[in-house]
Amino acid sequence: MLRQGHHGIAAAERGTSKKGTRALAWSKASIAGVGASRQGKLPGETPISLATEALRAALEDSGIAKEEIDGLLTMPGTTSPEGPKHYLALGEHLGIDPAFTGSLSMGGATAGALVQQAAMAIATGMATVVACVFGDTARTGGNKFDSASGRGDSWGIWGMFGNAANSALGAKRHMDLYGTTSEQLGWVAVTARKHARLNPNATMQDPMTVEDHQSSRPIVDPLRLLDCCIISDGAVAIIVTTPERARDARKPAVSIWGMGQGHTLQNLGTPEWWYLPHQADCISRSYRMAGVGPRDIDVAQLYDNFTISVLFWLEHAGFVPRGEAGPFVEGGERITFGGELPINTAGGNLSESYMQGWLHIVEGVRQIRGEAGPRQVEGAEVCLVTGRGMILNTASCLVLGAGS
Amino acid sequence: MTDTPAEIIRPSVTDLNRPFWEGCNAGVLRMQACLPAGHLRYPVSDACPTCLSPDFEWRELSGEGDILSAVMFKRSYNKAYEAQVPYNVVLVQLAEGPRMFSNVVPLSSDPLPAGTRVHVIFDRITDDVVLPRFAPVK
Repeated sequence: MLRQGHHGIAAAERGTSKKGTRALAWSKASIAGVGASRQGKLPGETPISLATEALRAALEDSGIAKEEIDGLLTMPGTTSPEGPKHYLALGEHLGIDPAFTGSLSMGGATAGALVQQAAMAIATGMATVVACVFGDTARTGGNKFDSASGRGDSWGIWGMFGNAANSALGAKRHMDLYGTTSEQLGWVAVTARKHARLNPNATMQDPMTVEDHQSSRPIVDPLRLLDCCIISDGAVAIIVTTPERARDARKPAVSIWGMGQGHTLQNLGTPEWWYLPHQADCISRSYRMAGVGPRDIDVAQLYDNFTISVLFWLEHAGFVPRGEAGPFVEGGERITFGGELPINTAGGNLSESYMQGWLHIVEGVRQIRGEAGPRQVEGAEVCLVTGRGMILNTASCLVLGAGS
Repeated sequence: MTDTPAEIIRPSVTDLNRPFWEGCNAGVLRMQACLPAGHLRYPVSDACPTCLSPDFEWRELSGEGDILSAVMFKRSYNKAYEAQVPYNVVLVQLAEGPRMFSNVVPLSSDPLPAGTRVHVIFDRITDDVVLPRFAPVK
């Protein structure tokens, strides 16, 4: 099945000793608390009401008092009316007058990018406890995921609409060049669903087979309905603080070993735009800062707006060489518990809830803390978390590690 | 000429992009070439993305290229294309360097594999709207 030269690692090789690695990691900020609101279809809620619910949960999780928050970073939901002034509305609602604040819109790269901003603020001393918050009612409040992308009027004229089409273009070229198949994409969806069924908070609990995937209706060929993420209402909050403060928090501290970003802001102007070359840069920057490589990663939360995205990440993160992610995910064994690289252990955007990558960070934290219950990856000490957004433009990455 | 949908998305013609659309009407695919850098750019823009110079000339292209990727819309996202579903959208690598979105005619034809050679054709969809689209090179 796998061609020669893959970088796959036997599970037994993992978790041998991360002590040497840990000494090289950046580790100047830690995640002390994570929280999520209810997820799914939540009529009557607003992005801000859900964000408040998530922040209450994150504060409870951390044992840190609201009064200690001196940083507030926010991502407007797709249905938030405030746009770039979202931080103002949320700060007023939450009763926070911070030393450091702002809002950022990078789509699925925002969650990681805001945790990075928080970490930088903490490392420079500009803040000591930063709440990063996102809330959305994309499911019940309407969303704009189906509109035409691109500058001016250049794309819709030819019928190029919606988010699925961008990823479908990448999927089709990956298939044409490397022989990747729709069934292989199906294994990503099936594995996500299997993991979601071990997560009581996941919104999608019905079993799924590759046959279900293959018989789901085509959306933008080669992507089918079950290649696409779900659309959800919900909110997530993440509390970032100093390693010292995190050590005194209620739960075991999770350290930010490394972090990075990469962006292809030109669309048609970049020859390999379809392959998202910035994602490989984003991850290598993060690895360098953390002093780790792909072999050190015990578990990964890879942004999965569409199944094909997971294949790109596996290649960009160096788990497999370019073009070989299809065979790697086939059968699902390598990407689930006991496999070479368990991914998206809570179900991801495909089956947990579409919180635009925010829940990927939450699950990374839970895996490192060892509190993921039936879906815990045994001995997980290092987790890679990735996010991507806009028209295949933005990427952010966190390497989370045990200890403060 | 393909079937004309009841409602179409018209190009927003501006002083800057008018030569592009007038070129299509006249059967010529032309793009902006930066005078200092020589860089050929698309979409139409008021500055060169390599050197930021505003100085350019319109240059006629060969209309030759190959398919970077091709997808098939199997559901409707917009009324203007509702009647066309299923239709293809292609990303074309033009011989001279730029890339553009377009369609292969007929729009209902199956997505061509990456690397297929194509050439531009000019599809008059209304009296005053002509879209550059592509056909496989025989």
